[in-house]
Amino acid sequence: MAASRNINFTTDDFKLIDRGSQDIEYLVAEGPSLSYWREAWCRLKMNRRALLSLFTILFLLLFTWVGPWVWTLDPARQDLVQISRAPHLGISALVVDDNFNWSGVIADNELTVNHRHVESLSVEVINNEEVIDNSVLSDDASYSEGLAAPSNLRVVDKPNTEYVRLTWQPVVGAARYLVYRNERQPESATDLGVPLWETDTARDVSYQDRLKLEAITYYYSVVATDGLNESNHYAVIQVDVQQAITFSDAVYSEVLPPEASKLDSIGRMVELQAHPLGTDYLGRDMLSRLMLGARISLFIGIVAPFLYLAFGIIYGSVAGFFGGLLDEWMMRFADFVIALPFLLFMILFKVSFGIGPGESGVIPMLVAMIVLSWPSMARLARGQVLQLREQPYIEAAKLFGASSWHMVFRHMLPNMLSVILVSLTFAIPAAIFTEAFLSFIGMGVVPPTPSWGSMSHDGMKTLMTHPHELIFPALFISITVLAFNILGDGLRDALDVRIRE
Amino acid sequence: MLISARLYLQSSLLIPLIISGLTSKAILFIMLYSMMNSEVLAGLAINSAQRSIAIAIADEPPDLSSLTTTDSLSIMILGHVVEGLVGYDAHNQLSPAVAERWQIDDKGATFWLRKSARWSDGKPVTAHDFIFAWQTALAPKTGAAYASILYPIRNAEAINKGKMPVDKLGVVAKDDHTLVVSFEKPTPYFLGLTAFVTYAPIRRDFYMKHANSYGAEAEKILYNGPFVIDEWVHGASLQLKKNPHYWRRAQVKLDTIDIPYITSDPGARYNLFKAGSIAFAGLNAEVLKDALKNRYKIRRFVDGVLFFLEFNHRPNRITANLNLRRAIQAVLDPDVLVNKVIGIPGNIPGKSLFPKWLKGVHQQFRVEYPAKEVERDYDLARHYLAQAKQELGLESIPPLVFLTGDSPNASKEAEYFQRVLKRHLGIDLKIDKQIFKQRLARMKAGSFDIVSAGWGPDFDDPITFGNLFASWNENNHGQYRNSEYDRWVAVAENTIEPQRRMAAMAEMQRILIDEVALVPLYERGTIYLQHERLKGVARRIFGGDPYFGFAYIE
Repeated sequence: MAASRNINFTTDDFKLIDRGSQDIEYLVAEGPSLSYWREAWCRLKMNRRALLSLFTILFLLLFTWVGPWVWTLDPARQDLVQISRAPHLGISALVVDDNFNWSGVIADNELTVNHRHVESLSVEVINNEEVIDNSVLSDDASYSEGLAAPSNLRVVDKPNTEYVRLTWQPVVGAARYLVYRNERQPESATDLGVPLWETDTARDVSYQDRLKLEAITYYYSVVATDGLNESNHYAVIQVDVQQAITFSDAVYSEVLPPEASKLDSIGRMVELQAHPLGTDYLGRDMLSRLMLGARISLFIGIVAPFLYLAFGIIYGSVAGFFGGLLDEWMMRFADFVIALPFLLFMILFKVSFGIGPGESGVIPMLVAMIVLSWPSMARLARGQVLQLREQPYIEAAKLFGASSWHMVFRHMLPNMLSVILVSLTFAIPAAIFTEAFLSFIGMGVVPPTPSWGSMSHDGMKTLMTHPHELIFPALFISITVLAFNILGDGLRDALDVRIRE
Repeated sequence: MLISARLYLQSSLLIPLIISGLTSKAILFIMLYSMMNSEVLAGLAINSAQRSIAIAIADEPPDLSSLTTTDSLSIMILGHVVEGLVGYDAHNQLSPAVAERWQIDDKGATFWLRKSARWSDGKPVTAHDFIFAWQTALAPKTGAAYASILYPIRNAEAINKGKMPVDKLGVVAKDDHTLVVSFEKPTPYFLGLTAFVTYAPIRRDFYMKHANSYGAEAEKILYNGPFVIDEWVHGASLQLKKNPHYWRRAQVKLDTIDIPYITSDPGARYNLFKAGSIAFAGLNAEVLKDALKNRYKIRRFVDGVLFFLEFNHRPNRITANLNLRRAIQAVLDPDVLVNKVIGIPGNIPGKSLFPKWLKGVHQQFRVEYPAKEVERDYDLARHYLAQAKQELGLESIPPLVFLTGDSPNASKEAEYFQRVLKRHLGIDLKIDKQIFKQRLARMKAGSFDIVSAGWGPDFDDPITFGNLFASWNENNHGQYRNSEYDRWVAVAENTIEPQRRMAAMAEMQRILIDEVALVPLYERGTIYLQHERLKGVARRIFGGDPYFGFAYIE
């Protein structure tokens, strides 16, 4: 269609090609042309990156709106058995009793241990295979004040992630005992790990550990103290902890049927709820939270740009179309709005909306974005209108006596559409990012509603220990933003007529 | 700050470079290196030659005037630089300080002050200094938040409320070194009170010289404790030096406590410890794993603070309904909160307003009077809820406002409560996260249904917790009012006989649990690191924690 070429056009040249034909070939060949939109679509199809992005976006929409029908786990459900669990597809666990009350072991005089008879102790049959009594006596004898290491440190009941029960023989002269836990074999008396407990008296010679137990091997150490200083001698025991779940938790999380009898169930092995993307710091399923979070992120990301672009286009078109003083005033107002700080207005809107603490800030966020983000689109639209107004075909239309209405809808809008579409694809990731940022700083959604931004914020706290809690939402934000950006790039290339030449 | 610490670690890498040949670049390096080194050496965690240690604090001390201070950080600093009539020894027992000996009965107390006690300018500490400090603290225009801790002294309350002149305070100096206090009513725990910072002496002439800015600068405080503040760069650093006039100076083993870092970030403080720049650092869950990997000796300390959920008992609030509170009490499990949700070692699940460590008549109060166990019972909870709905005439319970702090842990706990109430009772919880000041303002204004509150004891007696729910207590933010409870508080406050007092305390404990005035959550425990050569650091619930007055470098 280059004007420099001297070709005699016939009407055939302007015929639209058949729907069924291979349109890509026509792009390069001369001859019957494609409609503008079909041609753009062909160009987009040739841009594989853009196409991939398009599919990614479609996948995300499916993930958000169809996902919860497939993966039906309640995103607010807190599975305290599986806190900060890395991705897994099911772990088997032992069902244990809910009643952890263990009155422990009290020594009734200095050197003998008397088990206070309690129900839970009636099952205290120590399986010798499980009890590894490798009490180590530190060989440092020069420490004159050192109390002896407690002897016969052993585990009572089967150690599991709900409880580990320890007991030991009292030490002569001890005032209290300290219980430590480590994940490695201690090397010295200063390397015993986490101090869990200090007993109240010398007669307390037992301890039940429930603190965030994982199904790994722990090394428990017990040290006697004289009330002020710890002894250099310590007893250590290796404990292999088994994954467990309490009976009521098992029923609640539906790994046991509701009618299951407690007596039969205890001691059984069950399969724990699978979490393909792991769980967060309160045991909530990451996958279902990401699905729900996507809804908030994509809602803001799509609704806000649509609304403010629409407003911007109307505003800019009116200014550009009528021109003159009206244009001058309208564009000065747009400049004024551009100068308003977004964050401040976001907070002001939140206050003026009467959004109290603990209520979602999504609506004020939406309003703030619409009210403050339209001017750039208005400028763009005005520029387009000004440019189009001077086009020969507009003048021709005017000569034919076309109404303003006709000119706007027949000539201007269709010609602006490519610019609008490209702006939209760039506005969406920007809006998603803004939402993520605002939720990250706590201005957006409120718990328990997740959004990708707030999930990233929560995940950041456990980055060192449980990186998956940050990585997944961050990955979703990155992929979405990237996909929209690449699609925007592709659309721009596909819709820009000049590139064709 | 963090950067200089990192450079210090890397400085050993520079040595081969210096040896390998002195190019102009290398010379520049050496210059930089030596500059860095001199700066860093001053910030070493411990220095046995100079008998100095370095520590970090979380914030600039907000108020170093012993009259008006309220926060634990200021009290920690003041604990090192001022000394009251009595103090705490290395075993955290009350021990003589400025007072050599004393005599206390129903009517009052007499303190005999030691003649060797000196201010940091060498003048003796006299009985008049105590009288002046107490009168000033009670004068209404001082606006001392802790003035009420002086109320056991005769006429103190009337003076504080502006009904009497300050010179009517029931305390006289028989001579320069004999202080006679008369009581408003029998006060069995008075001795413990005198160790509190508001009871510290202040010398009239010095205070008058700086009246409005007393405590604002290092040179605007007169010291009588084991240390003096030698240098205070606001917002940046503090340095404590041994007080050469302190009466027990021979026992003070450290010459300098350097506080070159002020950072509220526990991660930064841990890194400073790791880099050998500070000798003492607290641990949180994030850095715990790294500390374990580095095989540090981890220590544990229960700091005496109780955290609890306080209900708003104001009559117009829905939480004024007892059955609703009972329903909430029956679904919350402090054991799960401590072990699974918080998951930081050291915390003890709460069972009562009165923490485990409090002393009773002969042994621990809770051993003598165990708190009633509250069983988790979801069916019972729903039963209570149904009753509450009926009494309130509501179809469903409207969302409750849960006021809490802005720390990561506070929001984690809040989300847990939110879920538990939703799951078992169908009650929605709106989480209102606020910074401390704002939270306090809202608590005072009563704009909450449930608030996550903490209480640190002021003196070593269960009543420091017990009177928190007395109807007249200003800190009773939920405005819990129960005349029976008030009666027992009065018994515990006005009786001298320990048996009767503790029995009254037990009654208070029973009422609070039965009436669900609060839901105890946990007694806070902390874990921390201490330089392996630094010994004798006292961790204590009262008198400022940690305390380095007995510390020494091995």
